[in-house]
Amino acid sequence: MSEMIDIIVDSQSYKVQNGSLLIDLLIKEKIKVPYFCYHESLGADGNCRMCMVEIEGQKRPQIACDTFIKPGMIIRSKGENIEKVRTDILELELINHPVDCPICDQAGECSLQEFYMEYGLHDSKISISEKVKHSKHLDLGSNVMLDQERCVLCARCTRFTDKITYTHELGIIGRGDEAKVTTMPGRKLDNPYAMNVVDLCPVGALTSKDFRFAQRVWFLQTVDSICHGCAKGCNIYIDHNKIKYQDDVIYRFRPRRNDNVNGFFICDAGRLSYKQLQENRLESAILNGEKITQMQAIAKAKELLAKHKENITVVIDANLYTEEIEAILAFAKELNAKVCSPKEVYRDESFKDDMLRSSNRAANYKTIERLNIDTKEPDSSSLILNFNHPQDFEATSVINFLTHNRLSLGLSLPIAAYSENEGTLTNEDGFTQKCEKAIFKNVPIPTIIEHLIRLRR
Amino acid sequence: MRDCKIVSRKFELPNSHTLEVSKAHGGYKTLEKLREHSPLEIIDIIKASNLRGKGGGGAPAGEKWELMPQNSLKPSFLAVNCDESEPGTFKDRQIITKDPHLLIEGILITCYAIRAKHAYIYIRGEYKQFQDILQGAIDEAYEDGLLKECDITVHRGAGAYICGEKSALLESMEGKRGHPRLKPKQKEPEWFFDNPTLVNNVETIATVPFIVQNGADAYRAFGTEQSPGTLLFSMSGHVQKPGVYEAEFGTSMMEYIRHFGGGVKGGKKLKAVIPGGVSCGVLTAEECENLTLDYEALRCMRSSLGTGGMILMDEDTDMVVALKNILEFYHEESCGQCTPCREGTGWSDKLVAKILEKKGTKEDLNKLLEIADTMNGKTICVFAPAASAVIVDFMRKFRDEFEAKL
Repeated sequence: MSEMIDIIVDSQSYKVQNGSLLIDLLIKEKIKVPYFCYHESLGADGNCRMCMVEIEGQKRPQIACDTFIKPGMIIRSKGENIEKVRTDILELELINHPVDCPICDQAGECSLQEFYMEYGLHDSKISISEKVKHSKHLDLGSNVMLDQERCVLCARCTRFTDKITYTHELGIIGRGDEAKVTTMPGRKLDNPYAMNVVDLCPVGALTSKDFRFAQRVWFLQTVDSICHGCAKGCNIYIDHNKIKYQDDVIYRFRPRRNDNVNGFFICDAGRLSYKQLQENRLESAILNGEKITQMQAIAKAKELLAKHKENITVVIDANLYTEEIEAILAFAKELNAKVCSPKEVYRDESFKDDMLRSSNRAANYKTIERLNIDTKEPDSSSLILNFNHPQDFEATSVINFLTHNRLSLGLSLPIAAYSENEGTLTNEDGFTQKCEKAIFKNVPIPTIIEHLIRLRR
Repeated sequence: MRDCKIVSRKFELPNSHTLEVSKAHGGYKTLEKLREHSPLEIIDIIKASNLRGKGGGGAPAGEKWELMPQNSLKPSFLAVNCDESEPGTFKDRQIITKDPHLLIEGILITCYAIRAKHAYIYIRGEYKQFQDILQGAIDEAYEDGLLKECDITVHRGAGAYICGEKSALLESMEGKRGHPRLKPKQKEPEWFFDNPTLVNNVETIATVPFIVQNGADAYRAFGTEQSPGTLLFSMSGHVQKPGVYEAEFGTSMMEYIRHFGGGVKGGKKLKAVIPGGVSCGVLTAEECENLTLDYEALRCMRSSLGTGGMILMDEDTDMVVALKNILEFYHEESCGQCTPCREGTGWSDKLVAKILEKKGTKEDLNKLLEIADTMNGKTICVFAPAASAVIVDFMRKFRDEFEAKL
């Protein structure tokens, strides 16, 4: 470790590691510098030239992303000179930009827009007909659409496929103002992390086919959550919106930075898993294929519990929140029931890779292990209570607590999905993480804990 | 004017590109005595000669050689820059076609000094026919057993000007897009696949045999104190006899033009000279009057010697058209990495086109200078600053011609 030293930024002193990157300090201390090409996961490339700062003793402004901190540095990030430089470079950045914000999905979370509001605010000195024309909707594959005209050529996307996924599908071709991002000849963007380039893109050049034209980003509310796709526990944002009297809808998942777990990215399977939360949901209780009311369902469940009280097995899904699993365990203890959570069904070796994806596709299996819950198949029982475990089980009677419709006989009660509830999960590396409640449905579906309270009454 | 042929000594001989003629006229002589010196001694000789890089920058070559590790676990490489794409410059191709064995000899000496076992010659894509001659000479040298300890590979570029920039050249050699790299913070060699690498121009390497053979003082006997030796200066444009003629540094520019070039074409008056390829600031005829051809004199004129490829323009030249011509080149050749260059070269080209169409306004002239200011000193390599200097010089020295077109 190198020593900590003092440097001065905008007349304020900071303690910082000798030799570290200046832009990291500026980002950490929330000192505003505009930048397109730098990204903490990809390192410096130095091509956008926006993060210029003045360093005392240097004749010319320097880019912060290629400045290594040395003792005694005095840095100015504000002031007329440096802002003029940024304004001028921004004007060049915009000179061939189509400025089609009204139809651009990035509008509202676009770096170019933000910097224009901060440093630009000039009128365009070039007419639209003089601008360089490129392709406006190229389907790159993997749900990613490219608009080459909006591109600022920061090369984040190409560096992502070069340095992170090592798949090298994207490249820049052409020179000067004819330079553009595209796929390598004969190839499509095709890797399990491809859609991260949409988040990396600071402007509206790369957009997700899945999210395109679905919502204006400023209408979306954002909630912190954890992906349930596998045991990795990648941190995500759930972006959702409730339009007037319609139901609350999730529009997208985005990765949330957590250096201990997923870094900056999530896989595409996890990103698109939000759809499953909204499709084919079990919304009312069902008895042998017939819809019944919640009251009737609870009454029926109580009746079955009383009838089979000698031989009950409780099966728990390893995707449930820790709080739910603990509540189920307490309930099972009261019933004197056996408890299990068969684990074979979660194993998927084909899903595993050496980046984020785990072969264990249960978000909370660590908690199942910690609580010493049996992971074998249940023995023959007269009553099985299945708390959303993906398998179906044979028994004299079955009470299912399910998020999704399933072809099964017996009694099924709907339960809230994880986005409609809050709780904690422990990932495969032992990190315990919290999910917030994102979705407030017009007609809320009861959570497992609410069901258990009613069953006890 | 003193006759001083160091690099072009064998140029006039018939079949000068063959090993036979080269050896008959003293080629590869230095290799016999080479082992008497240690590699470090060779570097000392080069340093003592104050040989300056002849690719345009004029940085002392010895200092660059010194940066190469002498006991590295990684292999060292030499990359010879033959990506000669600067408009107005055509000297390297004379060397590789007229005396390729001089270059090979220089490569062998240089590789010995920097302990490299493999040298690459990065040749510009358009030089296919010259590459064939060079490759023929290398094949001859292999057959003759000259390349036992050092391999030479010719790597053909794909026709991008920026690949003449040393770090872009190495990126290109690594099979990547030719983008200049961020400059290191301390002095260090270049890196080719993470191995220390020396990049030198063809002419620099071709000068090495003379210095090692005859000693540093023999080289310093030519030229000026700070710019010793000779350069293959060249002339093109409005000149009677365009071509490449070797002369020592410090020669008077006008005398050079008269002596070798036979003066301005058609006996017209000289209007302006771009002294060393289009990346150098333009000089008016008056400024050229008492100018000597060396790095220091040109720097005093806020221009630079560059590659020594002079472009002469006579009194009938339309400077706006000339600038448009140069800006088209910059527009075409900007690699597109840094924003100011990518967008600035294109926009300034469009603005000058607008002025030529007589649709320009005074604001456009000011905007042109503003763009030039934004391009200057804010990019990774010196491509944009060069374009910026060209715009500023043309506008400063010939503003009336621009204003006449508004």
